[in-house]
Amino acid sequence: KKMASKIRVVLRPVKSIVVRFCPFESNVESTRKFLGCINHKKIQATNRNCEVTADVRHDGSEPLVDVMFVDGDRLIMKGANLTTIEMLTALGSRCNAKDLKEEQKSKKKST
Amino acid sequence: APVAKMAALRGGGAPWRRGWLPALQLVRHGSKAVTRHWKAMHFQRQKLMAVTEYMAPRPAIPPCCLAPKKEKVEEDNGYARLLRRQVEEAFRDNRMIAVCQYNSMPGEDMVLMRHYLRKHNIEVKFVLNEIIRPMLSQSKYKNLLPLFVARNILLVSPETKVKEMLRVLKGVPQINLLGACIDNTILSRQGVENFAKLPSLEAAQGQTVGALALLPSQTSSLLQGGSAHLTALLDEHIRRLQAGETGSPDESAPAQSSG
Repeated sequence: KKMASKIRVVLRPVKSIVVRFCPFESNVESTRKFLGCINHKKIQATNRNCEVTADVRHDGSEPLVDVMFVDGDRLIMKGANLTTIEMLTALGSRCNAKDLKEEQKSKKKST
Repeated sequence: APVAKMAALRGGGAPWRRGWLPALQLVRHGSKAVTRHWKAMHFQRQKLMAVTEYMAPRPAIPPCCLAPKKEKVEEDNGYARLLRRQVEEAFRDNRMIAVCQYNSMPGEDMVLMRHYLRKHNIEVKFVLNEIIRPMLSQSKYKNLLPLFVARNILLVSPETKVKEMLRVLKGVPQINLLGACIDNTILSRQGVENFAKLPSLEAAQGQTVGALALLPSQTSSLLQGGSAHLTALLDEHIRRLQAGETGSPDESAPAQSSG
């Protein structure tokens, strides 16, 4: 079983991440752990320009993770029924896919 | 083959040959013991393997019929007791307790933040969830229970300097204020921000007193209005009479009736 803090995500293609949750609800644990993990030194070091904001509300809304990518894409993860590891792997896989696309594009441009 | 063996075991015959090994050992089909293909075991070996197969031990009484095992109550660790006592003290002695989520922060930032908060007499305490949760569920702070998942810190203070605390926390993006308990009132983040915008206690008291005193003062001025007006008019009349005596004897203006 993988530990959530061991998953490495490269945040280069990410512009900003907004984590919205209501701490008095009971389904926010995975979202809060997700927030704790992406604030880790190593993941933050992959992209210093990526802003991570935490939006703490008290309106009974669901926990939400809103990721804006550099190329305009948006990823919304509703954390009420997701685990931390699932959210991290989903984000990580999308980031890797975008990185690959970028590399291919830059290779095409150079050749 | 058995005939040859019996011939080897027979003692009689030539006096120097007691027993001899058969020169030829008959081998069927030319295959050896260890083969690359699967070879069927000798029948006796098959029987032995079938007899000595592993059979899982079945409990004499099925487990559902037994009385359920009572969970062992864990001994209270001395260290856990100490931490719990510290947290109880913190809850008892301080008017303001703010709960924040702690995401890992660089060390120097942490030290700076602690320094700034210390200047306003706010102390930073790291808490462990497994100690706080049972303590809270037994005390009156039950509604703070869902806050304590993931890493948290407590900012405790005997005074309620919320504005300064919010200012310091705004400069630190890795600490997120979740909620607070100020003067035994549980507030969410919006509640804390509203609390910061409130005027100080003295100003609020002055405003209340002023608002309360407004109506009775209006009533008293209304009640005294009539007699005050009459007094003023009579004073004016006297003044004019005196002025009329000293000057030309003019007809005195008739005293106007009050009201």
